[in-house]
Amino acid sequence: MARIEPGMEAMLDMYFYETNTLLEQLDEILLRTEQANCFDSEDIKEIFRIMHTIKGSSAMMGFDNLSVLAHKAEDMFFVIRENPDVITDVSFVYDLVFQVSDSYKAQIEAIQNNEDGEYESTDFSELIDKLLKARDVLMGVAEAPAADSGAAAHAAESAAEAAPSADPNKTTVKVFFEDGCQMENLRAFLLINTIRDECSFLEFTPADVETNPDSSKLIVENGFVITFTPIDNVDFVLKQIESALNVQSYEIVSAAAPAEEAPAAELPPEPKAEAPAAIAAPAAVESPAAKEQSAVEKAQAAVEKAQAASGMQKQNLISVNLAKLDALHDIVGEIITTESMVISNPDLEGLELESFNKAARQLRKLTSELQDTVMSIRMVPLAGVFQKMNRIVRDMRKKLGKEVDFLIEGEDTEVDKSIVDSLQDPLMHLVRNCMDHGIEENVQDRIKAGKPEKGTLKLIAQNASGEVIITVSDDGKGIDPEKVLSKAKRQGLLTKPESEYTEKEIQNMILLPGFSTNEQATEFSGRGVGMDVVKANVEKCGGSITIDSKKGHGTSFIIKIPLTLAIIDGMEVTCGGMVFTVPISTIRESFKVEASQIVRDTNNNEMIMIRGVCYPILRMHDKFGIETKVTDLEDGILLLVETDNKSVCIFADKLIGEQQVVVKPFPKYLSRYNIKSAGLSGCTIMGDGSISLIVDTNTLIG
Amino acid sequence: MTYDVIKEAVAKQQSGDKKLSNENHILGKVMTFYIGEQIYGIEIQNVVEIIEMTHITKVPHVPPYIKGMINVRSKVVPIIDIRTRFDKEEIPYTSRTCIIILSLDDVTVGIIVDRVADVEDIHSGDISATPENNSVNVNAFIQYMIRSGDIVKLILDVEKLLGDEI
Repeated sequence: MARIEPGMEAMLDMYFYETNTLLEQLDEILLRTEQANCFDSEDIKEIFRIMHTIKGSSAMMGFDNLSVLAHKAEDMFFVIRENPDVITDVSFVYDLVFQVSDSYKAQIEAIQNNEDGEYESTDFSELIDKLLKARDVLMGVAEAPAADSGAAAHAAESAAEAAPSADPNKTTVKVFFEDGCQMENLRAFLLINTIRDECSFLEFTPADVETNPDSSKLIVENGFVITFTPIDNVDFVLKQIESALNVQSYEIVSAAAPAEEAPAAELPPEPKAEAPAAIAAPAAVESPAAKEQSAVEKAQAAVEKAQAASGMQKQNLISVNLAKLDALHDIVGEIITTESMVISNPDLEGLELESFNKAARQLRKLTSELQDTVMSIRMVPLAGVFQKMNRIVRDMRKKLGKEVDFLIEGEDTEVDKSIVDSLQDPLMHLVRNCMDHGIEENVQDRIKAGKPEKGTLKLIAQNASGEVIITVSDDGKGIDPEKVLSKAKRQGLLTKPESEYTEKEIQNMILLPGFSTNEQATEFSGRGVGMDVVKANVEKCGGSITIDSKKGHGTSFIIKIPLTLAIIDGMEVTCGGMVFTVPISTIRESFKVEASQIVRDTNNNEMIMIRGVCYPILRMHDKFGIETKVTDLEDGILLLVETDNKSVCIFADKLIGEQQVVVKPFPKYLSRYNIKSAGLSGCTIMGDGSISLIVDTNTLIG
Repeated sequence: MTYDVIKEAVAKQQSGDKKLSNENHILGKVMTFYIGEQIYGIEIQNVVEIIEMTHITKVPHVPPYIKGMINVRSKVVPIIDIRTRFDKEEIPYTSRTCIIILSLDDVTVGIIVDRVADVEDIHSGDISATPENNSVNVNAFIQYMIRSGDIVKLILDVEKLLGDEI
């Protein structure tokens, strides 16, 4: 057990937030580059920067194991940064970095979950070993072509010095410090810092002067070797080295070719990187043509990446405590209520107030703008959650060896922040399930079924009439109703004779607690806790989940979630002194009826015939148990509403009018009662401060 | 107040040790109110505010003691009628009828009471435990009692009041 250093607790939240954000960024970059199969120098620099920041902040917080881990990852990327070509198809690098990122997340979670400041410090030595090995491998890869290109370019140059002198623009010097000046490694580090700004490229051996005191011995024995490309002038840098503290002497091992120096300085970095690669081509395994092609591919990938990057909205602009936004939202609500109290104040009645009315109109306009803005602040795109799914699919694709295309659509759909957070787990479960159970294990099965070899997994979000619909679908084997039924029978989940179940009912059995169709639980899914947890989670944020599956054709999970703070266009109707809001999107028409239009069936259910179609009539006062004087259908008003291809006529007392309303969930205390399934989705506060209940036509009809 | 604190206070009174049983320090504050002639109390840390009786929006499909919801500064708060909750007869609301807004963790609820009495200190020497017999519905919501002179004040257990249905 380790303890968080005293005095650091206050910084913890910031550290967690920062590190998690950075890790998410890291994942995003890795996924993007892995798909495009190309790292560009910006990405590598970004990863390097992320690792560096994490290293620093972890060390500051006293999390040594995390700091060391980041350091080693940073080292590995240092090699990659210097030689971007080594990465071409080194997939193990991705695996390693993902592993690092995961270990980080796990450790941070462990620290986060321990409130008393104690946490289990994970031993990362195995992973660190791997990182070291990877670095060495990369170093080997890096040096080989570099040596070759060096030989090709400067045949005369001695082979032993080939690596550092590979680039004709680089100058290598060996610096010796004064005898017995002590702490040579730190002096070397200071020296590097002095000349860093003057060099576009800088490399030195020993490389670990900053952290390893033992390196001073090497410096004393062999000198401190610096390889650099000056931005401006070689002599200027050399002078700086000469005049640096405690430097006794330096010798130039290999100088830049003076003829090439000037043009090289003006060239942008990209062509320069390409140039040695082209020279190295004959020596490399690939033929020149292949190299050229891969360059073209790289360029294409880079373009695609740029497009993807512009489509992806960065969320890390500002972080605000959600509670503050809630408070702001409440205050705005109060202002609006107070405003209407002032403007329609009884004291003003009968007065001619031209200028007051003008000012009041202006105020009203501004407050409604304010309200809209506050509302939009809380809305965040689903992109963040969707990107995480990308990662899961990637891991499972590798582990299960299934070829799957992952398509994301509508990730810019905006949902309230709190809903986005609670959606992550359900979506993760669903994506895993689709990958694990949905997509066929055997490619032959897919071919036999006439499907493309590669499976497709889709994650689609869309806005539809006041709610967001998220669909997770695969084109796999689908749900086998017979298997589900027999399984349910074995588990004792059946409540009526088998033959009475419809296909839809059978599919929905998957959502029952304790149901898992996979015979053997795998690492990813199949413990039978998944689907009912998904259902519970979705319902917790006021949503619903349905399954649409066809055996042999695939499965779709459809999640519908309301936008808790969304503004909906509502029609206000009264019923016995209460005001209800019916979402306008569901209303087809509203009308008065005459008794002659009413039809009654044998059970005395009322129906109405409109343009040759018969609709049932639902009396609001009966449904909600309200006392009202208006019970005659001719006195009230009928609203024809429609959802999911089901229609019904709602009977209410009176129409008040159309209004934009802010949907608020029911208070938490009431969540234990069955209000939601009884046809009400939430409530809203109206201009005069009273509360109106929002009718959910979906559950009202069902 | 936790049950341990109450137990300790009661145990000290009954210990027979003169020094301990005469110990009398302030454990907190309660807000007291009337339901009929009986005084009830709620520990002050659970009380958010007191507001006048206002129009309550009814909610369908809830038990009869939940009268509906009100809008308290843009927050929708459910309202419980304590009389109905305690199976007492309902009386018409008067100008003295008040709604006390309570909160526990993230649950906020208003309760309708006949009239608010006072805010007073809880002296450890005045505390007594509820009778063991919990068969009466009301008792289930009483955490402990405070005696001052002949008057007994029943302190409500907010956790149970706002918790799951009993």
